[in-house]
Parts: sequence; C-alpha cells; structure tokens
Amino acid sequence: MRIIDIHTHPVFCHRGKRPAELERVIAHGRRLGIVHMNVLGDVLVFGDTPNAKQLRFINDDSGRVARLYPDYFSAFIYLNPLLGERATMAEAERCAARPGFRGIKLEIANNAAHPCMRHVAKAAQAVNLPVLQHSWSTVNIGNRRHQSDPSDTARFARRFPAVTVIMAHLTGIGFRGVLEAKGLPNLYVDTSGGFPEEGLVEFAAEHLGADHVVYGSDLPIRENTVTIERIRSARLPAADRQLMLYGNAARLLRLQPS
Amino acid sequence: MNLIDTNANLGPWPFAPVPDRTGTALAAHLAAAGIRRALVSHLGALFLPEPMPANRALFATVRRTPGLIPVPVINPALPNWREQLAECLAAGPIRAVKILPNYHRYRLNARHLDDFMAALAKAKLRLILNVRLEDDRHKYFALRIKGVPVPQLAQFLLRFRSHHVLLSGIYKTEVEKLAPDHENFSVEISLCEMTDTLEIMLKKFPARRFMLGTDTPVMATRAQAAKLTGALIPARTRELIGSGNARRFFRL
Repeated sequence: MRIIDIHTHPVFCHRGKRPAELERVIAHGRRLGIVHMNVLGDVLVFGDTPNAKQLRFINDDSGRVARLYPDYFSAFIYLNPLLGERATMAEAERCAARPGFRGIKLEIANNAAHPCMRHVAKAAQAVNLPVLQHSWSTVNIGNRRHQSDPSDTARFARRFPAVTVIMAHLTGIGFRGVLEAKGLPNLYVDTSGGFPEEGLVEFAAEHLGADHVVYGSDLPIRENTVTIERIRSARLPAADRQLMLYGNAARLLRLQPS
Repeated sequence: MNLIDTNANLGPWPFAPVPDRTGTALAAHLAAAGIRRALVSHLGALFLPEPMPANRALFATVRRTPGLIPVPVINPALPNWREQLAECLAAGPIRAVKILPNYHRYRLNARHLDDFMAALAKAKLRLILNVRLEDDRHKYFALRIKGVPVPQLAQFLLRFRSHHVLLSGIYKTEVEKLAPDHENFSVEISLCEMTDTLEIMLKKFPARRFMLGTDTPVMATRAQAAKLTGALIPARTRELIGSGNARRFFRL
C-alpha cells in the first residue's frame, strides 16, 4: 500500500536540515511504504507570529528540502497573514515561482476566522494552491486568539468556497470538529497529530466521505507506524483506506502517479 | 506474535463511540493485533462511587476468557479499601491492582497510602498507577481531570522506594523527568509517542523497564501495538517490551 504523508516537519527546531538527516527521514519513510512526504516547515521556530524575514528563512529551508529531493519531498509555503496583504502575496508568489511548493501552511499566528484570512484566500487563489490550517478544539486549550477551533477553520472554508482548505489534526479537532467540517466540499481533514483515539477515522469517513480524509503524521512529533496503522486497521473498505493514505493527497498535491 | 498488553479495558467509555466488548470479543480484538494475553481492568471502576461492582463484572468476564488477566481497581481513599482488596484477593488469583488517583480524587501523598502499600506488599501484589487514560487536551468538556502531576509521582516513588511500580498512561516527557532520580518504576508505552519513540527512549531508559500497553478501547489497538512491532530495535528488546518484562514483573 503506497502512502503519502501530507503533514511532516523534517526540519524541526533548526534540526534536520543536513542531507544525511533528510536521507534518514527518507529511509524511515520508505521502510514504512511512504512514497512521498509534504514538508510544512519549521513553523514554530520563531514563535507564534514570525515576521517577513523569518518566514523567508523558514520557507527557504522547506524549499531547499524539496529541491534537494524532488522525488520525495514537496513543501507548503508558510504564511503569517497578520503581516498584511502585500507581504502575504509577495511571499506566496516568491515561493510559488520556485519548484516544489504545492500549498500554503498556516499555524497559530491568528485565528482562522480573523478578517486577515482574506489575504490568504487571495494568495491561494492567485497561486492556485490549497491551504492547510493548523486546527485544534479550543474547548480545553483556549487561546482562541491564536488557536483555530475547527469551527473557525470551517468558517474560513465557508467564506472562501473557491479555496481548497485542509483542516489539520483529526484527533485535535475530535468528533465535533468532524461535524464542523461536514458538508463543505472544499474542506478536507488530515489525520495528523494526537494519539490514535479509537473510532475517529471511521467517524470522519462516515461524515466527510473517505475522499475528504487525508493521511498525515506530524513527524517528528508523532510515530508513523502508529499513524499509518490507525488507518490501516480502521473498519473501512480497503479502497477508502487507500484513498486516505494515498489517493486524496496525490490529488491535492497534484503529484504524478508513480 | 505473542504480545502481552499491560493496559487493556473492558466496560463502557462514555466519551466516545468506542466498542464496549464482551470478554470473548476483546480477546479476539487483541489477538488481531498479535496480543495473546492482556492485563484488563474495567472502566466502570473510574466512575462508580465504589469500584467493586465494576471489579465483580471484570472477574465474571475474565473467568470465562483465557488470556485476560484481571487487574481490579482499588480506591484507597474510601474507608472500605481493605474490604475491596480482600474481595478481589478472594475472587482472584490476581497479580496486580490498579489505582487512579485523579479519577478518584486523592493525592499520592495521602497518609492512608502507607497502609495500602503495606497491604499490597503483604499480598505480593504489583501496583499499576494510572497517570491518565487520554490526552489531557481532549477530555469531555465537563471532565476537569488532568494527569497525575510529575512532582506527586516523584514523591510517591521516593516514599515507597521498596516498591517497583508500573506507571500507566504516562507521557514521554514525564518519563524523562522521573528517570534520572527514580529507579523503582517501569512504564507502559501507550501514551509515550514521537517519531522513533522506542529507539529514542531506549537511549536513556533500559528496555527491562518498558512494557507494551495499548489503552484499549480508548485508543486504536493495532495502531498502538505498531509502535512496538514496527520499531527498529533488536528482536530481544522487542521481546522484552512485548512480553518478557510483563511476564517477569507480574509472574505470568
């Protein structure tokens, strides 16, 4: 079974940039059947709200990973929409002009329901790339100024139906998060983050459709063996599991069939 | 494979649509993950005012299901804890009991734990101390129960130095905080996770102190077992963590 991991951070806290380290990640992935990893960047290395220079530093790192190993890694452009329309557009266009970038990544600079998200929507449409938004239920963790509750990410997807949105962290958004995402054809959920809580993958497939659930691990924070087996052991048809592990990400990342 | 799961549960989990399995169904479910034997408690013991009805249900179930080893839950904060223990010993045989300090609302520095730990030693029972059953961030919104704090665990380990305890549901970061100063605990790995969990943790923590745990049915069993079965570690180490340590520790 071929696998694409749409949610990885091989460069994490400044570590993992050297070719030898990246080759170890590739070997690790290939051993487990992962044929492609998508790099989201070292997104918290400069804190919650990186400035333009810091964004360029992070994106240059991600771009370098994707350029060094183009057959294995793609990358997402990390943006901070609080920097305004001009900065957001400039960074999106700078990166999109380079090979390897296949989407936009948003972390915790702002809540996904913030008005500044219009800049992201504009950039995503201009460069024709999907947007992956870090999401987590804020019921227990709070900090909604920075954290995006699944209802906030769903609101973003609803506001901009022409933008493809990936709501990250199935375990973090939980059962309610799945229901918040339901009925929005432009909204996908990735399975990264959190422990493999029983029943959530099946619940997501039931309510969103298997074609809207995408495998992700959150490497190096999570264990690929666990995150993959969570989907492989889900009580779902094999075709649905294959969609989650490979087909949906291949489509979102526009990867050529290998 | 012939794995032993040191953290499996029967009974209902009210916060998610997960299966409330019969003993036979649980044994079959575990077997599909390569688990032939499991130390099993009853989730009802978390929520009832007194854990014995759940323990009785546990004993009734495992009696009919080879491979499921009962681990009754004792609440030592209740005045009848001696009766709870005596009834469990009579219903046995048992190898261990489990405590859930935060679900049962007592601190590990409580004075009554002296007598409780002495009673366990006298009965030659192991103690499984549950730190948590799920990610503290994902609890049902009205359930304000967090994991047992590391300083409490540290004090407890220091106070009962002659007891070797299995810590269940502990995070990797918490193990790292306890490990340098305390040798009298082992860890079941259900809530320790990062990329290459075991490969990394084994650099600082000896293999003889790890045991497989899945936290079934709260977590997906096969996914949890894959943390061990998919790890790049020597076969002997895998055998120790997968079954050997539990066999030795619980005299199975």
